[in-house]
Amino acid sequence: MVKAVKPKKAAKSGAISGATRKRIAEEMQKFPQKRGALLEALHLVQEELGCIAPETARELAEIFEMRAVEVMEVVSFYNMFHAAPQGRHHVHVCTNLPCSLRGGRSLLRRLEEHLGIRAGETTPDGRITLGREECLGACAYAPMLRIGDTYHENLGVELAKKLLDSLE
Amino acid sequence: MTVRITVDGAAYEVEEGRTLLQALDDLGVLMNGVEVPHYCWHPKLSIDGSCRLCQVEVEGVPKLQIACDTRVTDGMVVHTKSERVRKAREGVMELLLVNHPLDCPICDQAGECKLQDYAFEYGVQHSRSREPRRALEKRVELGPTIVLDQERCILCRRCVRFCREVPGTGELVVENRGDRSVIAAFPGAPLDNDYSMNVADICPVGALTTKDFRFKMRVWFLDELPGVCTGCSAGCNIHAGVANNRVYRYVPRRNDAVNETWICDAGRMSYREIGSASRIHHPQVRGADGRLTAAGLGDALAVAAARLRAAIEGGGAEAVAVLASPHATNEDLLALRRFLAALGAPPESAGVAVPTGASDDLLLREEKAANAFGARALGFGGADAVIERVRSGAARVLLALGHDILAPAHLRGDVSALALLDGVILLDTHRSALERIAHVVFPARHALEKLGTLTNAAGRVQRVQPVVEPAFAAWSEGEILLRLGEALALPGFEEPAAWDPHAVSKSLGEELPAFAGIDVDSVGHEGLPLRGESA
Ligand code: SF4
Ligand code: SF4
Ligand code: FES
Repeated sequence: MVKAVKPKKAAKSGAISGATRKRIAEEMQKFPQKRGALLEALHLVQEELGCIAPETARELAEIFEMRAVEVMEVVSFYNMFHAAPQGRHHVHVCTNLPCSLRGGRSLLRRLEEHLGIRAGETTPDGRITLGREECLGACAYAPMLRIGDTYHENLGVELAKKLLDSLE
Repeated sequence: MTVRITVDGAAYEVEEGRTLLQALDDLGVLMNGVEVPHYCWHPKLSIDGSCRLCQVEVEGVPKLQIACDTRVTDGMVVHTKSERVRKAREGVMELLLVNHPLDCPICDQAGECKLQDYAFEYGVQHSRSREPRRALEKRVELGPTIVLDQERCILCRRCVRFCREVPGTGELVVENRGDRSVIAAFPGAPLDNDYSMNVADICPVGALTTKDFRFKMRVWFLDELPGVCTGCSAGCNIHAGVANNRVYRYVPRRNDAVNETWICDAGRMSYREIGSASRIHHPQVRGADGRLTAAGLGDALAVAAARLRAAIEGGGAEAVAVLASPHATNEDLLALRRFLAALGAPPESAGVAVPTGASDDLLLREEKAANAFGARALGFGGADAVIERVRSGAARVLLALGHDILAPAHLRGDVSALALLDGVILLDTHRSALERIAHVVFPARHALEKLGTLTNAAGRVQRVQPVVEPAFAAWSEGEILLRLGEALALPGFEEPAAWDPHAVSKSLGEELPAFAGIDVDSVGHEGLPLRGESA
C-alpha cells in the first residue's frame, strides 16, 4: 500500500513572473477597486505556479494592497484554489446532497482506499490529488466526479477505479 | 431628525437612520426590557447580519427582518415576542447547536455564555440531530494571549471585525467555507496587538479565551465590581472579577465617554499589581544597624515626625521636599495639600513625577498613572524643581508619595542624590529602589483598595471603591498624612479625626472650583468632567 503524505514542497516554486504581473495589472483596470481583480489574479497565478502558497499570498497581498490573511481567506473559500501543490491530475468527487443520496460519499471513500490517501491529499508519486467537490450541476447523473475539467457521470466504483488507474 | 416607532406596543422616539438594534441600544432598553437576542451584532462594531438570531416581525413586511440591519422608519410597528419570532429563534438556535460540543462543564464561558443563555431561553431542550458533530481543534493558539476552540465557535465574526475595525490590525479571518469554516490567522502573523484580549470578551461563546484567565475560576463565583483601570491616564472603566478577596481579572465596563467597550491588554493585566508579591506589607523603620525593619504604625509615625520636625526646625518648610503621587486619589492629594498648607508651603512646591510609556490614538495614554491629570489639577508642580532643591542641599528631608521619581525622565533609578538626605519618608504600594534607601516606609493602598476619585487624561473624574481588602496593614496616603499632621501637631491637625474619604471628597469642591458639585458620591459609576473640561 502506498503511504499517504501531504506534499510540502511547491511543484513549481518561485515568485510571480513579470508577465503574470502585467496581466494582473491589466485585469485591475477593469474594476473600480483593485481587489475586484483578485479572483482573476488567483487563476493566473495558480496557472503559473500550480498553487497559491503562503509566500505567494504575501506577494499578491502586496500587489493588491491588502493583507496576506485576506488573500488566504479567499483561497481557502474557493475549492478551485489550492494553498499547497497538487498532483498532475485533480480528481474531485461531488459529495453534495443529491450525489450523496446516490452513493457519492461511499464512492469517495472507496477511491480513498484505492489510492491510499484521504480527500485533500496527493499520492506520493504526485500523480493524483483527490478532493471532495460541491455541486457541479450534474445531479441527474449522480454519482459523478470530475478529472480536471472533464465530467465523468453515472459512475460505479469499479468504473471509477479504472478511470483513475488509466491516468498517467 | 427623529422618527416614531412602536415595539411590542410601546412607543419610542428614535433617531432617524439608526437600525432597530442601534435605536433600542440608544434608548437603553435593548436586553433591558426589550429582549432581542443577538450574537453577531455588537454596538461598537460594523453590522454583519450573519447569525440571524435577531429576527423580529415588522408589520407590513411579509418576512421576518433582522433587527440589527433594519433601519427604523416613521410609524414602524415591531413585534419581538410573537409566535413567529419565537419559532424563528428556536430554529436558529437548533442549527447553531447542531455542531456545538457539549463542553459547558469544562468551558470557561459557562455562566456568562450567550449560547447557554439563549439555548435555555429560546432553544428546544432536546436534540433531533443523530449525525456526528464536526470534530475540530480544541486548542489553537491564535497568538500570545488568546486560545481558540474551533468547535465552540459559532462564526459570528465579531473577533474578525474587531481586529479590522478597532486596533486595525486585521489578523483574523474565516478560513474555508460552510461547515468547514474556522477562525484563523495567517501563518507567521498571529493575533498580536495591544488590544487583542478584547476578542475573548466579545466572543459570545467560549471559543476564545485568554491564556491568563482560562481555567482559573468559574465566573459565577466572581463578584464583578466596578472600578477604573490604573494602567495609564485614560482611566478605562472596568469590572474587577473578585473572589475570596482576590482579583482574578479585569474586563472592560462600557463607558461611551471613555473607553466604549474596550481596554488594552497591558491595562487588563495590571490587575496583577494589586496582589503582587512586591507589595509593601507593613510599616518599616530604618534602625541603628542601618536595616529596614517592620514597625508598628505608631512607631513609624513617631520616627517620621521626628525627622520632619528636625528638618523644619533647621530650615523651615523649605527644608522638606515633597513628591505627590499621580496614582493617589484626589482625596489623598487634597490631604497632601492641607498638610503642605499647614507646613506653610504652597501646593506647587510639591512635585509630581509621572512615569511614561507607549501611547496610541485609541485608548493608551503616554502617562502611565491613573491620576496624573488630577495631581496637576490639584496644583502640584513639576518634579525636577523638587530634585533640584534636594541636590542644592536646601531640602533635608524628602516626603515621597510613590517612587515615580525613579522614572527615566527624572532620576533614572539612580538614588545617589537622595542618599545624602537626613530623611526619606516614603508612602508607597510597591517595593522599589527608593524603598531601599528610605528611613521610614508606610504601606499605601492601591487605588482599587480604597474609596475616592481619579481624574483621567481628559479631565473626567471617576470613582474607585475598594474591590478587595488588603490582607496586610495598609492605609490611604491621605490617612497617613492625617496621622502625620497630628503627630507633628500642625495647625488644623490638633483634633484627632477619622479618615473619611466621603467628607474629604465633598470638600474638594470647596477648595477647588473645578470640583464644584463633583465628589465620590455624585460622579456615579460613569464619572463627570471637571468644570471647564469637555470630557
Ligand atoms: S471565535 Fe467567537 S467571536 Fe470569533 S467568530 Fe467564533 S464565536 Fe464569534
Ligand atoms: S488604555 Fe490605559 S486606562 Fe485603558 S485599559 Fe489600557 S492602561 Fe488601562
Ligand atoms: S444580530 Fe442580527 S443577524 Fe446577528
